[in-house]
Amino acid sequence: MTDPGERAMSSSNTMEWLKGVVKATKLYWGLALLFAVGVLSSPVSSKGHNIFLSFGNLSDVFRQISVTGITAVGMTLVILIAGIDLSVGSVLALGSVVCAMLLTNEGWSSAYLLGVPAVFLLAFFVVLGTMSFALRVQRRAVHAEAAPGMSKVALVVALVAALLIALRVASNSGSKAGVLLVLLVVPAVGLMLGAINGVVIVGGRLQPFIVTLAMMVAGLGVARLTAGQNTAVWPVYTGSNATEDFEALRSLIFGIIPVPGVIFAGIIVLFWIILKFTKFGRYIYAIGGNEEAARLAGVPVWRVKITVYAISGYLAALAGILYVAQYRQGKPDAGMGLELDAIAAVVIGGTSLMGGRGSMIGTLVGVLIFGFLSNILQLNNIDSNTQLVLKGIIIIVAVLLQERRSSGWMFFLSQLKVRNAPDRSVTSQQTETHRHGE
Amino acid sequence: MSITRRQFATWALATALIAPVAFNMSSAQAKDKYTIGFSQVTTVEPWRVQFNKDLEAEAKKHANVELLVADGQDKTEKQVADVENFIRQEVDAILISPKESAGLTGVVEKAMDAGIPVIVLDRNVDTEKYTQWIGGDNVVIGEAAGKYAVERLGGKGKAKGTVVEVWGGLGTQASHDRSNGFHKYTDAEPGIKYLLDKQSGDWKQDQAYNIMATALRNHEDITMVYGHNDPMAYGAYLAAKDAGREKDILFLGVDGLPNEGVQWVNKGELAATFLYPTPGAEGLRQALKVLAGEKVEKKIVLGTETITKENAPAILKANGL
Repeated sequence: MTDPGERAMSSSNTMEWLKGVVKATKLYWGLALLFAVGVLSSPVSSKGHNIFLSFGNLSDVFRQISVTGITAVGMTLVILIAGIDLSVGSVLALGSVVCAMLLTNEGWSSAYLLGVPAVFLLAFFVVLGTMSFALRVQRRAVHAEAAPGMSKVALVVALVAALLIALRVASNSGSKAGVLLVLLVVPAVGLMLGAINGVVIVGGRLQPFIVTLAMMVAGLGVARLTAGQNTAVWPVYTGSNATEDFEALRSLIFGIIPVPGVIFAGIIVLFWIILKFTKFGRYIYAIGGNEEAARLAGVPVWRVKITVYAISGYLAALAGILYVAQYRQGKPDAGMGLELDAIAAVVIGGTSLMGGRGSMIGTLVGVLIFGFLSNILQLNNIDSNTQLVLKGIIIIVAVLLQERRSSGWMFFLSQLKVRNAPDRSVTSQQTETHRHGE
Repeated sequence: MSITRRQFATWALATALIAPVAFNMSSAQAKDKYTIGFSQVTTVEPWRVQFNKDLEAEAKKHANVELLVADGQDKTEKQVADVENFIRQEVDAILISPKESAGLTGVVEKAMDAGIPVIVLDRNVDTEKYTQWIGGDNVVIGEAAGKYAVERLGGKGKAKGTVVEVWGGLGTQASHDRSNGFHKYTDAEPGIKYLLDKQSGDWKQDQAYNIMATALRNHEDITMVYGHNDPMAYGAYLAAKDAGREKDILFLGVDGLPNEGVQWVNKGELAATFLYPTPGAEGLRQALKVLAGEKVEKKIVLGTETITKENAPAILKANGL
């Protein structure tokens, strides 16, 4: 064996180019491989077509991944700032319960007790945010100094507006909620819980792990209390005990594209744009990379952090609505284990748990890998215990394929070499040092 | 070059792992062979294990049946996906034991719309769009337990005693049914008193133990325990045993699984258990009837059986224990 430096020099340009391509497309390998396995292993239907590739099956998968997928989008943001959100399962469950109760109940219920303050909070911050943004734009246009009374005026206007909106929602409690009201109120509840997570983490300088773990436990309790002790499950049947328009969230566009999947795709695109092209997105990467440096550079760290946890809660509760739509029920144990699926999907997608590195496209890939994996294992009727083992192994393989730094793995191999042939490795290590010295 | 080698190693590993999946191709179905998909909600509960055993044993008796079993891992989402997979695989019939009614209703309708007969086992779905439902009736079981309890506590009109009832779950219909059936008989007896107000042991032995341990401390006089399943009755028995009071109390359980309740009854630890029959074997037999073009009843209710020390040894023997 010659020393590494010489070898690197002797390798051709094509090799380098190939390596570059490999590195750039690494993210998609696992997915492509899995897809190929899916096609090859799929059983063939009686009419002779490949079941895995059939539109029906792909449509099933697209719908099946939507709930975990939407949660994983929020989780990506949280993990990018080097946090973690274990409460998404409970928030989803609470969202599903509130959603089902709003849809089927007439009159004031515990769902409104949660929903109205949440809507107030959401409306307050949206109005306040929009107004201060408008003021800033206007100020910049006329190059004026900030008028001292303006922010107070904005605050009052926002309070009044939020109060009016909340009252409007509360006044609706007499009749069953429609799809639009549900889409407003339920995510607001998630946003409220997420914001509480964020405030406690920032304000108390606590580990996100323990804070969101506490929220996971408490959220489950709130979901059960909201649902009521004797009714673990709230069934939702559009047309009989709920309004017909909720059916829209379950339907198939052109009979083939599932609406929940489309919503998931829309959210992925939206947050891909936010991460890639907005200041807020850059702040997220900055905080994840080095929080202290970001703070010193003037990034409003605590505001961004609270917003990120609030978004995670918002999306989890939104996923709860889709859960109700797909499974015709809301229940407190709906999101059991969801947080781990979401985290796994994000990490498989190449986002680092240390924060600061990762992408929305990666998360999409991770979610798809998860979805196809379950689908393929089931289509092949693999025994369910073996399925669990295979899933575990494939997660590790996928993460290995996605791993961006090869140094850890190389270090491990070099250590093996040290054991086998101490002399040679010492020389190569020396050469390494020389090269660094140059 | 180490990067390439590393990648090669990873790929080799991946291929080695995925290859077994890839080559597990299902063979094309022969016309005289029926593929039947069975979607079970979970496979870790003892009653479900017995359920699967009954079904698989019945499937082995029919050479023309290929049984595909999917485990829902106790998740609605997974079970819905499992049934969707059966639909895509165009199985000849689907047997399903749903996690809950509302969550699985949609997919059962979807299967029926795809022209696949669906036989629902145990819990029913909230639609009339299914081929057949087979299950036990928890009210009937509760009634059997109530009748037996009254008899053991002194007979109709003279029964006297204090009863601890350990609920399975306040949110599950099965628990309410088992309770309502029981109370139909015991409430008619003025001599019977109840000690706890709806204490749920979540169907688990350890939780029932704790509930009973507290009850034993609070109440000097307990004559009977009614657990909504056998493990909870047994948990209560263990708590009483640790307090040295197991001889004064009669323990009643429900389910009558050979390896659990029947064993405990046989040893004299439980006074009686009431069989909650699994619809496994009957389900497959009915599915074959449907496939043969026979007309089947919409609903089949399986009966119960009171298992006491007299008939326990025979049941154990029949199950090879």
